[in-house]
Amino acid sequence: MIDIEKAIVALATESADFVLIGGVALSIHSAAYVTYDIDFCFSREKANLVKITRALSPFSPRPRNFPKELPFIWDVSTLGNGSVFKLDTSIGDIDLLSEVAGLGSYENVLSQSEKFEMFGVEIDVLSVAGLIAAKIAAGREKDLLGLTHLKAIQAAHSDSEL
Amino acid sequence: MNRTPEQKLLEPAPGGKIAEAQKFGLDLSLIVENMRLSPEARVRKLQSAMMSFEKLKAEASKSSNTRR
Repeated sequence: MIDIEKAIVALATESADFVLIGGVALSIHSAAYVTYDIDFCFSREKANLVKITRALSPFSPRPRNFPKELPFIWDVSTLGNGSVFKLDTSIGDIDLLSEVAGLGSYENVLSQSEKFEMFGVEIDVLSVAGLIAAKIAAGREKDLLGLTHLKAIQAAHSDSEL
Repeated sequence: MNRTPEQKLLEPAPGGKIAEAQKFGLDLSLIVENMRLSPEARVRKLQSAMMSFEKLKAEASKSSNTRR
């Protein structure tokens, strides 16, 4: 189970460029939805890779289901060599993505995000419209419940109600 | 007259997305409850729900092991 506050504060304290996406973002937008991990979209700029590496190092990240006997080095080079990381850490499961289905790269995701303040830091969170676009593009059956929440929340805030 | 998000969720307009969500089985009052909280309080509530589920899962696994 992820410690949401520790994950968010660690990245924000390093001033890393990231957007909170996925189930935790749904909850921030008021969806009554339970998730067990946390997902971030990150910028692949070299300076940002340094910040993310430094922020998560204290939590000993390793790829999920990676054999314990095999060595894994968490550094800038590792982060720079991939675009999707499903990490097992001492504070829970953290997913890092440099691209989001339906939206594209970090810059596009950021342009569809909103700022929120929590735990003493300000973070970018993918908007309801952005989350809907991402979930539709992913086309996974497991996203249907979240998608229904998001559409209801979007309709509640729109003028038309339809 | 424009209705507030809460009103729209608690009394969904027929044929709309909210009515559809209700038909799908969503308890819309839970969304309203969350809307009344700050974003940080929503995250704290989620964290607490995660902990409850984890505890429940551990209890269920313990009782299933005892039965074997």
